[in-house]
Amino acid sequence: MKLKTKDKLGKNKPLPSSKITKVEEENLFAFIPNRKKPLLRNKTIVVGCGRLGASIANKGNKDGKNVLVVDNNKNAFELLDDTFSGYTIVGDVLDYKTLENAYITSAKEIIITTGNDNINIFLALLCRNIYQVPNIYVRLDDPNMSVLLENKDIEIILPFKLSFDMLEKIRTEGGNK
Amino acid sequence: MKIVICDGHNEADYIIKMFKKKENTLIVINNDKNYASYLSKTHRIPVIYGDSYKKNILEEANIYNADVLIALNETNDANQFVICTLAKSLFNVKKVICTVKNPNNVDLFKELGVDSPISSSYLLGNSVRAESSVESLIKSMTLDDNKISMVEVTVSENFAICNRKIMEINFPKFANISCIYRKPNVIIPNGQTIILPKDKLLIVSAPIDQKKVIEYVSRTKEV
Repeated sequence: MKLKTKDKLGKNKPLPSSKITKVEEENLFAFIPNRKKPLLRNKTIVVGCGRLGASIANKGNKDGKNVLVVDNNKNAFELLDDTFSGYTIVGDVLDYKTLENAYITSAKEIIITTGNDNINIFLALLCRNIYQVPNIYVRLDDPNMSVLLENKDIEIILPFKLSFDMLEKIRTEGGNK
Repeated sequence: MKIVICDGHNEADYIIKMFKKKENTLIVINNDKNYASYLSKTHRIPVIYGDSYKKNILEEANIYNADVLIALNETNDANQFVICTLAKSLFNVKKVICTVKNPNNVDLFKELGVDSPISSSYLLGNSVRAESSVESLIKSMTLDDNKISMVEVTVSENFAICNRKIMEINFPKFANISCIYRKPNVIIPNGQTIILPKDKLLIVSAPIDQKKVIEYVSRTKEV
């Protein structure tokens, strides 16, 4: 792939002329995420292959999108359709290298639906601030946590709120008499 | 100072011991019930039992406007991150420190607003590299996130710079001999100082020039 650049460590870049910037580039442990601007953003990444994640991946695949699914458990991919033709990646999403293997640098949208709110929040902020993914969708179980992601151009889906609203709506409309 | 200590076993114990003074207010939160009761018994301080990444627990602990928050649970990096972000954004904590399991996350955490993420393997790697990258005579260390490097060189008799004044040896401009240790004295050198064998030179430079400095200093005399 063209997008996998060799100079992850910044070694192939031409050396800057001034000395001060040189020092900053010579960081000993260059665990630096890949920030090169991608040629195109066309991937849909689904993180967490639970019921919701798998359904979204299946739907995206049917719609002809370029779907990648990431999960740390290999067995989770059983929820995907037999006809699913996208990539599946096994790995710990807390390590940014897994995300880079999933071509996060060329992602158009990322849907984060792991079962752990903390991982979801961390990933959302990582994608927003470092990889600058244009569309980020996050599922959060705990509505209190959504304050951390407000005003950051991140779409938050709260299953609790959705079911609460729905229930209230059905009840006010009558329901079982 | 108002210090918040979240989770952790022996580490928490140690830090509480260190900071338990009159001028410090300690707030301790622990997610292990037995250990929480142990901490409160041994140190005679209130300990809150609960998951510190939950907003209501932090509210209950009243960590508003704390000076430092230390998160010590190394098992899950995401939890650590959420504790730090909650503390910074909602509770106005001035400085957050957390331990990180995955060394790759250190730089990411820094960028995402955690003041000092600490990873034991990251530190270990740094020091191993500093000790092993150069010859056995030479020790090096770095300051301020690897922007300044300090090299310690022991002068031996066959070095070209040995037995000469500093002003004569034409020392490179990108580095400086900041001090000379000659048993038992520490000498702050000037141009007139003569470098003797068995002196220990402490040379400050940028990390990128470190190799050149070592090469320059350890040139042997031309025969």
